[in-house]
Amino acid sequence: MRGAWTIAMAAVVAVALAAPSSWAQPKKLVFWTHWEQNPEFNKFYETRGKDFAQKSGYEVQVVTVPYQGYEAKYLAALMGKSGAPDIFMGMTHHWCGQYDFCDKMPADLAKTWDENLPKYIVNVGKWKGVRYGIPIEHGNFQQMYIDTDLFKKAGLDPDRPPKTLDAWLAAMKKLTVLDAKGEPSQVGFALRHKGHPVGITDKFLPFAHAFGARMLSPNLEKATTFANSAEMVAALQFYADLVNKHKVASIAFPTPEDAFGQKRAATIFRESWFFGWVKKNAPDVAFKVYALPCGKACPGAGNLFPWTNMVAKSSPSKQAAWDFMRFISNAKDDLDQHQAQGILPVWTANLESAYVKSRPDYQSTQEMLKQPVPPEYYHPKSNELATAFGEAVVAALYGKGQPQPLLDEAAAKMDRILKD
Amino acid sequence: MPPAYLKRQRRAGLLFVLPAVIYFGGVFLVPLLESVIGSFYRTVPGGATQFVGTRLYVKVLTDPTFWQAVGNTVSLLVMSVPVTVVLALAVALGLHRLRSLKARSAWAAMYFLPFSVSLVAAALVWQWIYDPVYGVLNHVLAALGVPPLKWLQSLDLVRPSLALVNVWARLGFDTMIFLAALQAIPAEYYEAAAIDGAGAWPALRRITLPLLNPQIVMVAILELIFNFKVFDTVYATTQGGPAGASQTVIMLLYDTAFKYFRLGDASVMAVFVFVALLLVTLLQWRLFRRQVEY
Amino acid sequence: MKPARLGWLTAALVAAGALCVVFPLFWMAVTSLKTVPEIQRLPLHVFPDRWSNLDNYREVFQRQPFGRFLLNSALVASVAALSSAVVSSLAGYGFAKFRFPGHAVLFFGIIGILMVPFQSVVVPLYLWINRLGLLDTYPGILAPDLVSVFGVFLMRQAIEVVPSDYVDAARIDGAGEFGIFWRVILPAVKPAIATLVIVKFMWTWNELFWPLVVVNSPTMKVVTLGLVSFTNMYFIEYNLVTAAAVVSVLPILAVFLAGQKWIVRGVVMSGLKG
Repeated sequence: MRGAWTIAMAAVVAVALAAPSSWAQPKKLVFWTHWEQNPEFNKFYETRGKDFAQKSGYEVQVVTVPYQGYEAKYLAALMGKSGAPDIFMGMTHHWCGQYDFCDKMPADLAKTWDENLPKYIVNVGKWKGVRYGIPIEHGNFQQMYIDTDLFKKAGLDPDRPPKTLDAWLAAMKKLTVLDAKGEPSQVGFALRHKGHPVGITDKFLPFAHAFGARMLSPNLEKATTFANSAEMVAALQFYADLVNKHKVASIAFPTPEDAFGQKRAATIFRESWFFGWVKKNAPDVAFKVYALPCGKACPGAGNLFPWTNMVAKSSPSKQAAWDFMRFISNAKDDLDQHQAQGILPVWTANLESAYVKSRPDYQSTQEMLKQPVPPEYYHPKSNELATAFGEAVVAALYGKGQPQPLLDEAAAKMDRILKD
Repeated sequence: MPPAYLKRQRRAGLLFVLPAVIYFGGVFLVPLLESVIGSFYRTVPGGATQFVGTRLYVKVLTDPTFWQAVGNTVSLLVMSVPVTVVLALAVALGLHRLRSLKARSAWAAMYFLPFSVSLVAAALVWQWIYDPVYGVLNHVLAALGVPPLKWLQSLDLVRPSLALVNVWARLGFDTMIFLAALQAIPAEYYEAAAIDGAGAWPALRRITLPLLNPQIVMVAILELIFNFKVFDTVYATTQGGPAGASQTVIMLLYDTAFKYFRLGDASVMAVFVFVALLLVTLLQWRLFRRQVEY
Repeated sequence: MKPARLGWLTAALVAAGALCVVFPLFWMAVTSLKTVPEIQRLPLHVFPDRWSNLDNYREVFQRQPFGRFLLNSALVASVAALSSAVVSSLAGYGFAKFRFPGHAVLFFGIIGILMVPFQSVVVPLYLWINRLGLLDTYPGILAPDLVSVFGVFLMRQAIEVVPSDYVDAARIDGAGEFGIFWRVILPAVKPAIATLVIVKFMWTWNELFWPLVVVNSPTMKVVTLGLVSFTNMYFIEYNLVTAAAVVSVLPILAVFLAGQKWIVRGVVMSGLKG
């Protein structure tokens, strides 16, 4: 008798260990995101999910996936179908373009979003004209942050920032302080030069666009004569000169954020989440946010990482997932969610709200959004293309070659990638 | 040897290895085969796969980026493996000489400590140590009058810097293997040698090293394999930069599979890694191994 | 050089080396007691302003159920270590002391698994685990960790040096094969087994990639996943990462110190042999 009890208990334990966590629980929509740095934003889905559950019976469970390795996890899960999330956050042109994992957005919802997004972001979430995803980040274009104290110390007026690249370079020179050995101890510009080449490309693109260059042809099918155009060479030369000729930026300074936070760099081009970081990690830095300086063209509000929410095609709860998206697709939810985390809301209507008006980047955002939309590169192979391009940029920064041959090589590589 | 005895031997041997063989076959063989088969397919936009024969092999094996990654990996290997093996041996021998077991345990534990930290955490800590501005390494150098170095941000120093992290992380593990082996050598061997009048160095060369041969070969093979496959340390710090100087084969494999979505190409690289490591391991096994029994 | 002097020199070198090796970990521990402004302060301060500053640790446990992560890691690592020890010893004995058809192929086949980059089998393996319904479960997390290739290798090398005479003598005495394994072989390789258990425990404890792919629920996460959540695509929270790393190292230290005793005791016993 005792033996039978032991076996029974062991069986119960074994079953409890092996049982999936969704046994005998309310229906759930599983939402995967890798935006670990925005916990309040993510929690919003669960909070609203509880409201949603009252009318639909579906709660929302948010699973935060580490950014490091998220592609592998997404790919395996979406291929496996039954372990896949119902809703997930990523880039549309990868998961809906390169792969076919996404469900098409219902027409009414797509219309709502097309009508309420600012023009630069309308194409985000679309693949070949069809909408699959909802953009969640509005302020992931870069803007210019300046350290007002350093500006004043250099004799510059922090209320009258440079508006052209030439004026900007002149200011950078004034803001750079060299030490006894001729190496910069304080730089004008905090440059991003390390890490994955995709990130390097992301940071260089505003300069490229300001020179009137673009990485790919408008139909995204060719790289040669675009990635290595005369304008692009000029842009890369300008960029590399910052480090090698004028020494207003340095590759010896590790992360640009730390350099700015430590008051060792006077300007940094960063996205809108950055001032939250500064307030928390470098509270004694006095700063202002301005639009990026223009060259031949204005950099505009561009971005290489358009994050969107998508619904998985294989989800058994597709209908409920879209219903939830409808439930939160309105100006109020958009404002509440983004305000909770301190990032810019996405709906055009909210860009004039009191919250946005109170942000330090209100004016600069308005100004940049008025500029023409810069080139977009929403191609399934964007990662690989940006990597090949970024390698040329890094090589130029490290003085490993001249811009023209480096870009020629990168363009050829990019064309090979496109043709493959 | 009577045939019945041999037969019983063979059956017993097979039975002993069976659990391991079944496990590895079940868990790894099937995914491995699927991955190798995948090297003959490419993913087209839309997600479908298309059979392309050996086209991907030609593509990968003629890609200069791939060979640059191979070169980086070999360079890292050459810097890490011999240093790790020799240092581990030296430390194990040093620890073994300590009379006090307490002292031996304490120092051995300190050498082993790096192994207890996950590679990601170790990489992040070292990145901080290597930081050109805030890093303690440059501060020490400054105290010695040496100008600050760029370490992980330098095209020349990035690979040695990463190699150092690998050596640091693996040293204790190999030391422990050697130490356990040293402690298992029966004392009579040394006593006999001492009676014969042999000094410390000859005893080392003629007794210790030959008797440690199984472990030395094993450690050398394991270090080579480990350093070839290094991923976490690079991924957490340089991500293959600057300008591809620290991009190893596995980093490239990961990016190819999951950032560029070219699983077929990645499988080709995996096959390459496997064949290369197999050849080198067989070489090491054949060249350096001696049959050893106490 | 006189033996005594050599002895002192050796001890000094060993000690110096140990201190160098431990320094980064000391740095890690010290950083975990600093606030963010302290970490970025120049010129560099080695020691934290307040040795009693446990804010980072508090935040680590507040942000996520880190205690649960520790439990999960402990469970997974223990099971993996024990099963590895058992199966690897058996296999190591079979490969070391027996000649059967295919033994070389099988041995190198197993070693060959080490040569396969895990990144290339992770998707097919995940799909299989998915089909078996083991995603987000302990068996799922354990699947690739139950037997260690290194373990088979280590045990083979360790058992190889045990004199075959002992085995033959036991056979002549009429002992069964498993009995020989249990009574002759295992006691002779105790240090190696202890090494294997410790190493496998630590290795599994520190695994990141597979748990990342197979775990979804916060309650099933392991310590490494908790640690990595303090890094994101923009920046690294060094103060929290170091605190989490210290927390995750402490249990391993305990295992190591316990295992060390077994190694030492095993040494004493094998010293009596022969």
